[in-house]
Amino acid sequence: MIRYALTRLALLVLGLFVASALIFLTLRILPGDVAQLIAGIDAGPAQVAAIRERLGLAEPLAVQYLSWIGGVLRGDLGQSLLTGAPVAAQLAEKAQVTIPLGLMAMTVALLIALPFGVLSAVRRGRPDGTALSVGAQTVAAVPVVWAGMMLVLVFAVWLGWLPAQGFPRAGWSDPASAVRALLLPAITIGVVEGAMLMRFVRSATLQATGEDFVRTAAAKGLTRTQALIRHGLPTVGLSIITVLGLQVAGIIVGAVVIEQLFSLPGIGRMLVEDVGKRDLLKVQGELLVLTGFVLVVGFVVDLIHHLIDPRQREAE
Amino acid sequence: MLRRTTVAAAALLAVGALLLTACSGGSTPDASPTVVTPDPDAVVNVRLVSEPSNLDIRETAGAALDQILIDNVYQGLVSRTPDQKIEPELASDYKVSPDGLTYTFTLRDGVTFHNGSPLTVDDVVWSLEQVKSTASYSDSDRLARVQSIAANGKDVVLTLSQPDSSLLWNLTGRAGLVLKKDDTTDRKTKANGTGPYKLTSWKQGDSITFDRNDAYWGDKAKVKEVVFSYIPDNQAALNGALAHELDVVTGFDANLKDQVEANGDFTLVLGKSTDKGTLAMNSTKAPLSDKRVRQAIRQAIDHNAIVKALGAGQTLNGPIPELDPGYADLSSTAPFDPAAAKKLLADAGVKDFTLTLTIPSFYGTTVSQILVSNLNDVGITLKVKAVEFPTWLNDVYMNKNYDLSFVLHTEARDFENWANPNYYYTYNNPEVQKLYQQSLSATDEQTSADLLAQAAKIVADDQAADWLYNGASIVAVGTNVSGFPSVNVNERINLAELAKSKG
Repeated sequence: MIRYALTRLALLVLGLFVASALIFLTLRILPGDVAQLIAGIDAGPAQVAAIRERLGLAEPLAVQYLSWIGGVLRGDLGQSLLTGAPVAAQLAEKAQVTIPLGLMAMTVALLIALPFGVLSAVRRGRPDGTALSVGAQTVAAVPVVWAGMMLVLVFAVWLGWLPAQGFPRAGWSDPASAVRALLLPAITIGVVEGAMLMRFVRSATLQATGEDFVRTAAAKGLTRTQALIRHGLPTVGLSIITVLGLQVAGIIVGAVVIEQLFSLPGIGRMLVEDVGKRDLLKVQGELLVLTGFVLVVGFVVDLIHHLIDPRQREAE
Repeated sequence: MLRRTTVAAAALLAVGALLLTACSGGSTPDASPTVVTPDPDAVVNVRLVSEPSNLDIRETAGAALDQILIDNVYQGLVSRTPDQKIEPELASDYKVSPDGLTYTFTLRDGVTFHNGSPLTVDDVVWSLEQVKSTASYSDSDRLARVQSIAANGKDVVLTLSQPDSSLLWNLTGRAGLVLKKDDTTDRKTKANGTGPYKLTSWKQGDSITFDRNDAYWGDKAKVKEVVFSYIPDNQAALNGALAHELDVVTGFDANLKDQVEANGDFTLVLGKSTDKGTLAMNSTKAPLSDKRVRQAIRQAIDHNAIVKALGAGQTLNGPIPELDPGYADLSSTAPFDPAAAKKLLADAGVKDFTLTLTIPSFYGTTVSQILVSNLNDVGITLKVKAVEFPTWLNDVYMNKNYDLSFVLHTEARDFENWANPNYYYTYNNPEVQKLYQQSLSATDEQTSADLLAQAAKIVADDQAADWLYNGASIVAVGTNVSGFPSVNVNERINLAELAKSKG
């Protein structure tokens, strides 16, 4: 087990280094120059050159990369080229919107996917089961933006129950308002992700029903449902953990879209804006942290899997 | 299965459309107050489109800074009125010598900065000298004809090497802002000015908040707080307005007029602006180097159709908009006439060729669609290349690597770019450059404006570019809000008159 964990950890670190180099290089391929953006469309070449020099953009690429990655290794993500504000602090501030949003969306998704997924599997072939799975297909096909607009129309514009956009300026020191601001966007992501997850839960449950050990349990006198719940669902749970790990990336992508639509000051919106402003050091830091997050989630999922699933340990 | 999904999605869409109609047409408007009784504790929420990348108004370019900081937070010796006239601000009075070489400003008494320190003539001299001597500051070269800046008692005296008819105007902008001498405020994230509002917080990626400056030397602001919410997404802005979370929405799509006005809580206000939808043509490249080809392009474009599609604004046809000195109707230089355009192309010996239009992606597709169809009608295939703004800056602005390019130039009085052969317009006409310099050196406004008009006529006759439209400032204002500016709000939003009633 420990050997397995260490191998995985080494891969994780290697992955992060490769990612850092890729992030650094791909951003350099983007056309456009932050110095020119700062100086604007009435500036002369001398003004632009002076700004480039001051920002350290005139250094060779290798020097820029080493100084960045050296800082990261010392725990310093660097500073915004535009405002000089530390990247880590900005990320921490925006994470206060995006992480709760992600968790809430995940909760909504699970609340939908687990009961309805199992139910639609158990009731397979009957009208209600078919209705559930068709419903899931339909909702999963709905674009997130459109779902968000509909929810806003009904709950914000029409009924006036929830805010249509924005996040309270007081942030989490006003928890009720903060939660209210995140509710519609979280439901938007959660419903669509939940519908996709539900189809997965359904097929995993169906597969479990067919497993030998469930059939054996049923043969020993349990009803089909009892057998499924006691022996089948734990394996379903296992595969759901894997899928949830993958969903993390999906929810981050969803957040980029949804934060624009709801005008939420989160990581997704910050990332889009920083790319648009060519604030390269900041984008590097943001992407590295996001990549790291997804990689770590994958790592943890693998470990849990390994720990719970006896079959994997035996295979080792 | 796919079929069923599509049907279900279509049904959902229909429900959505019904909901839209329900909420835009359903509620009966309350009688809106005709007179606004100002609530001194009011908070006004304003939607703006683009956020500044940092607040350093000396070094960072971009209208997003001028738009909110000048007049409200930072002030200069002189300022612009909404109808673009120049009036004293931090100067109580000013005199210009008859030869146009000496400007004397008398400093107003009792002015303090937001941090409490008093304004002195030294601050003014230092501020102007800093701008003049620091090349990396925006608009530094606008003080190029200023030879010396000196304090004389309560007066500040500017001595010029030659007359500069644009000097006062330039002093109403960045070049003339007065900052506290040797101030240690971090200008990138904070501001210390003399204006009626203090900048109290900037939540990057979200909003900027102004509070009333209770120690202001002039008429105090009528509202306690103004929050500028940066909402790039039009849909989010519309939702915010319909849900009463915003009081003022700028940068609106004029075609949504009915939707936003339906419930009676908002009025859409259209104001003039100096926004010039400019179609630059790279005259260093064949076939655009041929004047007949450029004229053909201009005559092929239906400018009225563009204005109609945008839902606001007016046609332009020349480099100077109506709000700026030197304006004249230049529509005769290239009237809409596809047949004439075809003939010009035939005369030039070119047909069935392809041009690329490089356009920053945030402008949407309305304009480029019309251009594609208009040019197609005369035998030109237009390929639209929508790019991110930094890419546009790199390819078009810096490297001049383009055929046609569209940008909305918002700056007032920016004719100088037609007199600058290095600008991305690639337009080089010594006669125009000479007339522009003469207009700068003129000592009376009328002469200066006449010279600009002459120069503008030459630029249009040379078919240097096409001016697709003169944009309008489009602002949706809550019926309980008064005094929000309506003219040129992409450039400046002076909040001096802003008030909001209770309820």
